[in-house]
Parts: sequence; C-alpha cells; structure tokens
Amino acid sequence: MKVSLHWLKRFVDFDLSATELADKLTMRGFESEVVTDFDSLDNLVVGEVLKAEKHPDADKLKLCSVSDGDETFSVVCGAPNVNTGQKIVFAKVGAVLPGDFKIGKAKIRGVESFGMICSERELGISEEHDGIMVLDDSLKAGTPIKDILGPLFNAIDIEVTPDKAFALSHRGIAREVATIVESKLKTPISMAKINPKSKEVISVELDKKGGCTRYIAGVMKGVKVGPSPKWLADYLKSVGQKSINNLVDISNFMLLEIGHPTHIFDLQKLDKPAIKVSWAKKNENFNALDEETYKLDADHMVITDTKNTIALAGIIGGMDSSVTDTTTEVLIESAYFNPVVIRKGSKKLNLLSEASRRFERGTDPNAASEAFNMIVQLMQEVAGGSLESVITDECSMNLQNTTVHLSSEKLLKYAGQDISSKEVEQILNGLHIDAKKSINGWTCSIPTFRTDLSVETDLIEEVFRCFGYENIKSSFNYSSVMQYANDEEASIFSLKHHLSSLGFHQSYNNSLEELEEVKLFGKDAVSVLNPSSERMNTLRTTLHSGLLKNLDFNFKNGSPDTLIYEYGTIFEGKTDKLEDITQKSSLSCLVHGDVFAKNVHFDSISASFAFLKGVASNIFEDKRLGMKVKFLEEKHHYCDPYFAITDGKKQIVGGLGVISKSLLKDLDISHKHEVVVLDIDTKIFTDYKNYNTKVEDIIAYPVVSRDLNFKMDSSVKVGDVVKAMKSVNQSILQNVSPVDIYQSKKDKSSKDVLFSLSFQSSKKTLEDKDVNAIITEIINIVSKKFNAKLRDN
Amino acid sequence: MSLDKTIKGLETSFSKDLSSSKTPKELEEFRIKYLGRNGQLTSLFEEFNKLPAAEKPRYGKELNILKNKLTGLYQKAIGANDNGSSSIDIDFSLPGYNLPDGNIHPLEQITSEIKSIFQSIGFSVAYGPEIDDDYHNFEALNVPKHHPARDMQDTFFINPNTVLRTHTSNVQIHLMENQDPPLRHICCGRVFRNEAVSYKSFCLFNQVEGLVINETSSFAEMKGTLEYFVQEMFGKDTKMRFRPSYFPFTEPSAEVDIWNSKLNQWMEILGCGMVNPNVLSNVGYDNEKYQGFAFGMGIERIAMIKYGIKDIRLFYQNDKRFLEQF
Repeated sequence: MKVSLHWLKRFVDFDLSATELADKLTMRGFESEVVTDFDSLDNLVVGEVLKAEKHPDADKLKLCSVSDGDETFSVVCGAPNVNTGQKIVFAKVGAVLPGDFKIGKAKIRGVESFGMICSERELGISEEHDGIMVLDDSLKAGTPIKDILGPLFNAIDIEVTPDKAFALSHRGIAREVATIVESKLKTPISMAKINPKSKEVISVELDKKGGCTRYIAGVMKGVKVGPSPKWLADYLKSVGQKSINNLVDISNFMLLEIGHPTHIFDLQKLDKPAIKVSWAKKNENFNALDEETYKLDADHMVITDTKNTIALAGIIGGMDSSVTDTTTEVLIESAYFNPVVIRKGSKKLNLLSEASRRFERGTDPNAASEAFNMIVQLMQEVAGGSLESVITDECSMNLQNTTVHLSSEKLLKYAGQDISSKEVEQILNGLHIDAKKSINGWTCSIPTFRTDLSVETDLIEEVFRCFGYENIKSSFNYSSVMQYANDEEASIFSLKHHLSSLGFHQSYNNSLEELEEVKLFGKDAVSVLNPSSERMNTLRTTLHSGLLKNLDFNFKNGSPDTLIYEYGTIFEGKTDKLEDITQKSSLSCLVHGDVFAKNVHFDSISASFAFLKGVASNIFEDKRLGMKVKFLEEKHHYCDPYFAITDGKKQIVGGLGVISKSLLKDLDISHKHEVVVLDIDTKIFTDYKNYNTKVEDIIAYPVVSRDLNFKMDSSVKVGDVVKAMKSVNQSILQNVSPVDIYQSKKDKSSKDVLFSLSFQSSKKTLEDKDVNAIITEIINIVSKKFNAKLRDN
Repeated sequence: MSLDKTIKGLETSFSKDLSSSKTPKELEEFRIKYLGRNGQLTSLFEEFNKLPAAEKPRYGKELNILKNKLTGLYQKAIGANDNGSSSIDIDFSLPGYNLPDGNIHPLEQITSEIKSIFQSIGFSVAYGPEIDDDYHNFEALNVPKHHPARDMQDTFFINPNTVLRTHTSNVQIHLMENQDPPLRHICCGRVFRNEAVSYKSFCLFNQVEGLVINETSSFAEMKGTLEYFVQEMFGKDTKMRFRPSYFPFTEPSAEVDIWNSKLNQWMEILGCGMVNPNVLSNVGYDNEKYQGFAFGMGIERIAMIKYGIKDIRLFYQNDKRFLEQF
C-alpha cells in the first residue's frame, strides 16, 4: 500500500524523512520501502524551458534550452508537451532518479544533451509518462525540487500483512506513527452532527444470514459533478491514483483516509430510494463498474433497490446505478460486511477490489458511521448539495469495545524476561488499548478498529513489537538440549556421498512435469487441478524422466559423459484422492558415455550397463546390509532389458535397465551410447533393524587358485556358467570369476572363456587332490549343461 | 607338453630360484637364466611362435602377462639391493589419474549443513508427505478456509481438499498428532508454490522448519537458538535483526534479516515465532501448559546468498558446469 507522508501529516506531526519513516515502521512490523524520497534526490531543480525547437535529426525529439536559474543547458527531450516558457523538473547531470536511474551526459541522435526533463513516472510519483511534468509558472528556476515536490509527494510503500486490517489507511498508519514519535493523533475532519434538510427516510433491510450487520444510508441532493479541487487531486496523486471526478474521488479519498470503503449510487437510477441487502440468484448476471459482466451465484451478497441488483456487496458497484457527469442526487452507502462472505464472493469471481480487500480483513464497524459523516461533509464542501434524508443506520452488531485479559505471568513466560508494568501500560495505552491493572495482569479494552486483537497472545505480540524485539534479551536453554538427535535419512546421506565419490553428480529436478510426457512412463499419474502451465501439470512418477532431461541438456552443452542421480519423491495414484495416492522417496542413477576418458595411462572406461551393475552390487552389498543381490530379468515398460534386483531372498530392492530406444526417441533425448538406469529402494538403508554386521574368522590357510578355459557356444550366458560352477556344493570353493573372453573374428559361433576359481579351507592347507575332485565335478557339470569343452592345456 | 603347463612350471621355478638368489652375483645369474637373451622366457616365446594361428591370441596374452609378472618380481628383488634404480623409467611429470569427480547438490549441502547445526543442539529431523490434506497444510495451522492469509501462499491443488504442501509445517502437525511434548525437531523437504517461474521464484523450493514445544521455551530462547544458528551458518560476526511480522501459525511472529555488507542492505533469511495456541489445541495439546517456538527458512534463498547465485532456476537445471562447482 502506497502511503504519502503529506497525507500522514493530516493526522500526526512528525519530522522523519521517508527513509527514516520506512525503517521505523519496518521495525514495528510494517515492512516498508521508500517509493519517493525527494530529500535524498540531489541535482534536481526547477528548470525553465527557454527554447524548444525541433531536433535537427529526429522528428519526434525536441532540442531545448533549459535554465537552472544560473546556467543554460542544452537538453534533448522526447515529450510531446514540452514548450517554451514552461517550468519543469530538471534532472541535472549527476542526478540519480528512483530506481537507481543515473543521469549523465548523453549524445542523442548526434546532439549532446546535458540532463533530463522528467515525467511523473521518472520521479516515482505516478505512472504518468505520456509527457513531462509541468510545474506551476510562479516557481523560480533553480529552486531545489525537494522543496517543491517533497512535501507533497514523498511516499513509502508498506506491505501490510493480512492480520493488520486496521493499518490499511493513512489514519491507521498514522496511529502507529504517533506511538513511534510519541505524539497525539489529530482529527482533520471533525465529526459534527449533520442535520438533514428533509424528513425523507431511506428504508434499509439487512440480510437474514448475518452477511451485512450494519448499513448506513442517506441521500444528498443538489450535488454538482465536476473536477476535484487541487488539494484532493494532489492527495490522490501522492499515492499514485488518478483523479476522476469529485464524487468518485471523495469515496476513494475516504477509503485511503480512514480505511472504510463506501459507495455512492446515482439516486435517480434506482427503482426507489430503498436498500435491501440480499443474496444473488444462481447464474444472475451483474454488470459491474469495471465494464465486466459477472455471473453470480447464491453465495454472493448483493445490494438491491428492492427490485434490481445495484451492487455486489463490499466488492464492486453496478454500472447501471453508478454516478455520471449528469448525476445530481446520490445515495451514500457506508456498511459493515462479513469478512468471510466478502472473501468467498471475491475469490469465486477472482475479483479483488480495494473495498473487498478491506472488508475481507475486517473493518471497524464504528468507522462506518465516521465515513458516512465525513463523506457528507466533504461532498458539501467539494460538490455542493445537502443531506436530504434522515440518516438510516440499520445495525445488528456490537459497536462496543471488547475485553481481553493479559496475565503478567503469561507475558513473562512468553518473553523469558520481565517487562515492567509501566512499560506494558504505556505501550497498550499508546495503541488506544485501555489497559486496567487487575490482580494478575491487565484487563484490556480493545477498540473496535483493532479487529485483530481477540486473545491474549494478540496482546503479547503488541507489547513485544512495540517494546522492540531487539530489547528482548536472547537466552539459550540447555536443559532442553540434552536429547538424542535422530535423522532417519542419515544413512541415505552416506549413500549420496558414496555415489558422489564414484563420480556421480546429484541432481534436483522439478517434481512437476507435462502429462503427455509422464504418460510415456506408463504409470497412474497424479495431476494438478490448477497448474501454472500445461508443461508442469502432473507429478512425476519416476525420477528417470528428469535424469533423461539432464542427460539431454548436458549432451547438448558439450558434456555427453553423464553420471547422475537424484533422490526425491515420486507419486502415483489411481484417483486424485489422498488415500489412493502413493508418495515414495526414491533414488535413481543414470549413466551414459564414459566414466574415464581415454588418457595417457589407460584407455577409456565406459559408463556401461556393466559399470552400473557394478555400482549396484557395490551399494547393495554394503557389509552392514549383509545382502547378496541377484539380478532377475523382467519385462519393463520402457527398459530393454530390465533386471529386478533382489536381496537374494524374495524382496526386490531395486532395478537395473537400459532405456529403450523407443522412449529415447519419443522424448527426443540426445545420446550416442546406451543409457542405463539404476533404481535403489532406499527403505532398506533407513531400516536400521536390518543393519547386522557379523564378523567372520580370518582363515589362516592359503588360497589355491585354478584357471579353467572352456570353449562354448556364443549364446551361452557366462553368468549361467558361473552359477552352475558355484552350485557344486563344496564349502572350499570360495569364488568363481570369469577373467577373459576370447572370440575369433572369423568364427563368431563360439567363444573361449577363462574362469579363475579360488579354493580355501578353514581347516587345513588344501592339497591338489582336495581341489582336483571339485574341478572334475565342475568340468563335468559345465561340459554337460552348456555343451562346453575344456580347452586342452 | 602343453604350453599352459610350461607356463605354470616356469612361474613356480622362477619364484623358487629368485627367493634363493641373494647376492648381486646370484641375482645376475638368475636374470640370465630366466630373462636373458637365451633365457627360459625367451624360449617360451619361441615355442609360442610355432603355435597354430587360432591359438596365438590367447597365449600371446598369457605370455605377456607372465613376462610382466616375472620382470616385475625381478625388478622388485633387485630394487631391495639397488636403491631407486627401478624408478628411472617412470615419467613423474605425467598427470595423475583423472578420477571421476562427483558432487553433492548445493541445496543438499546447505540442507545438511543446517541439519547438523540444529542436530548439534539436540534437534531431531523429521520428514513427511509432499501431498497432504487441506487440514494438515492449513486448517490445523490456524489458517481457516476463507482467511486472507491463504493469499500468502499460492497453492497447487490436487483436488479441492488435497494440496501440494506449501510448507513443511504439515510435518509438524503430523509430529504433534503422534507425539506428546517435549518436541525438538526440524523438518525438511520440498514445498510447492503456484508462482510464475522466473529468476527469483520457482514452482517449488526446499524448506527447513523447526519446532520446539515444552513448558518453558520463550521468545528469548527462540532468539538465542536462531542467533546461534545464524552465527554457525553465516559466521560469528554476522549482523542480524528480528523484526515483527505475521504468520497465522505463530504469535508473536518475527522475520530475521542478516546484513549484507556487499549490497549494503538487510536480507530476509527466515521467519519464526511463538507457536500459536490454536495450533497447539488443534493437535490436542494443553495450550495453557505448553508453549514453544517454530521457525522456517528456504534453502534456495540461503544457498543463493551463500554462493552468490542470481537465478534460482540454476538449481533445477542440473547443468554439469554449474554442479561441478560444488
């Protein structure tokens, strides 16, 4: 909310610059930024345009001579309204305008320009940028602008949090400023009693459901619509609002002055001078002031003239009953609307207005009558006319202060330190809260404009923020520290480090993806009801999609060698019901290209299926897990081949597969080798129960190694042969590993495979005969089962 | 006699002879016998040359392995007597192996740093669902359905009553529902906001939030705890301030800024406050007896401040040239 210092000074005297005020308010809980602080702008003076001629080389530019009272400068200006004799805002070379816009010497279309003639937008006053800002003729060239515009247009922008409805006006902020500078609040418009000139009564009927609990109405006649006086237009301009006409401006002014929205109807456009608050009919069309037609439903509260809808209550007025240039009689509305009703109504139409913003946060019911009274006075002053009806005030709500108790014990317990009674009372009284000392604290009378104060902690917050958070001394409570700090994902963190030291990059991908792409992965996806873009409308069902995109991105940027992984949540759901949705933490790796590039020491080592299979074994056969994994081939939606990884028993702990060519094509993923993925079920790592390391005795007897070289059909899977060899039930056979595969270039039907077998006994040093018996058995099995021939040595 | 057996036999006798050759003279005799021009190894290669072509590749390989092995053993043996002479052939100026260089994502690094700071002062770490019902994400946290505070967090809906969590505070509610005070936890994870993607905002970010509930934890203790955190995270001399703010789930609420001396301005890094009594009663705690504080921060924001990153989208692009810098 833009707040003008000039306007604040209607209510409170203070001597703070915009910057100082913004800082002080920020520390009170009103985060503020300076919009315009003319006091901080140097090299900005009133200039006089001595001459304005066409630029020799550009039709739309003018070449001006500008005097700063002392010297004359040549300035190129693009504004259509610049003219000889004008007094203007002249930014000299060296000036820095809002937005850190530095003015320097410039060459524009071949002509040197020394400074700039400013528009309102360039000065941060308004959005006006069609032409330059023209100042009053009587000003003297050379006068610093801060003396001319500063008093009127210094402004700050305050981010008012949703709880602080009371601060959505200049009076509201001024109350806060008054407590900061310890000054009294002034009353710029007195609340004189107004005597109507007529006994005419406007009938007002409130709705039955509590949507509107106070409605004040009255009629003014003989008003004359016209431009607003300068003081009124200037106030509006100082917060960036355009002046429209005196009637509309008055209502807008009142909203920004005391924060209470009002509405002015053209009386002659009403069916009769009567108000009935009721609810819209379903699908009722409503033509609003913003020239839009809205379809209402039964949740929308409307103002009617008993026959037609004339306003969408608390949100926006109707087009058909609005004031125009020919209006002479008006009906003034000042009401209190239920916040939830306004909120629902405005949300449903996605229609936010300055009025709805205030009503939905809760307005002061007493401000309704203040606003009414002030509007009548202002209208008499600015548009003429007089009150020609009795003021109807239908009210079914409490207008009295409420009471909240603040216990001193609770205050102490919350603060962790003592705040003196004197201080507490001073703070509360400063905020217009009447705090009376009671036995164990204070009984506080809450003014109706503080709709945010209803329980004890609300008051504690008020005391703390005015006392100053910086004045509450920090403490450190070690008594509550001594407890075991647990993190169930600590073991996953180790796993991530493990992967990183193997050369993997950890990636973080968006959880939101495009439905069409997610579908390719063949799972029941969960979509978002209100996506910000169709490209991010569905939750990922696998981490592979993101990793593939990472491969593609890096490939295109010159890094085809990719070892990446991600740990994150994946989602699946048969329906959009929470109980049908599964959310699972998951870890996937993807490799492509080389692990090691070719170098002076050795040839390249590729990031192949075998590499990732090794990574899988390395991870799963973590000694603490005590697991011997198996890879079981399975069908997979988009991997070919794909292997489920089991813990050696029945439980599946992961999967390993090569991404199918068709998926790579469908997703258009750049690649030049196979793309291999590995999934790791991290649950086994977080399940500490399974951590079960048993140490085995070290065998002191030597290991005996034997090599066996078999010739076999090319189609025989070496893994199957190893498995068959191991099936020999002999405890001394420790390990079998294929160490070499040879295939002749000419004859590809067979291959030679060299196996290395190691034997060891825990009981004795093995002799040849112990080993030979097993070797013979192995040779038999392998020869028969795979039709393999032992190569004659 | 097959070549395989010869190889084995040579290997065995080589080792045996080598172990009995001690003096330089013995060693030289040994060398001539096995590795010399007319030594046993050479004659083995001569035999190899006579083999049929089909068998050559395999034995070629084996013989080379053998040669390297025997030469290596001999070099090692003479190395014991002749200091350093064996290293003359090595070019020490060559670069070392270019070992693969992986990384932990910067956001994970920051998260883990934050976690360990809080773990060091007794906070446990909790996790929870990213999709949750409206109740756990909003209502239980004192954000009723039609409250303007809902505008503070633009929400993605799965259905009208199910949301992508907008903060990790839902985990706090689950925690409190399942556990009695005292509590001293941080929760971390992904949260979602329906905001336009730009250099300064993304549709999701990572959060760490903390919760302390017991009978005594005060605003002063909250300040002390967070001051400790800021000093550990940003350095002992970091200038910081607590400034009043508003969150529906805490009261009084504050935002914490740290001073950025490079930009000459305050930068907001976290929000905090005393847990709103309504939140405590919503989970069935006695809010007269128990009180405490909560705080929350965005990891991306902290990472951006710490590493001088200007575009939040870099975290989710996974450009190797970016990741390799961590």
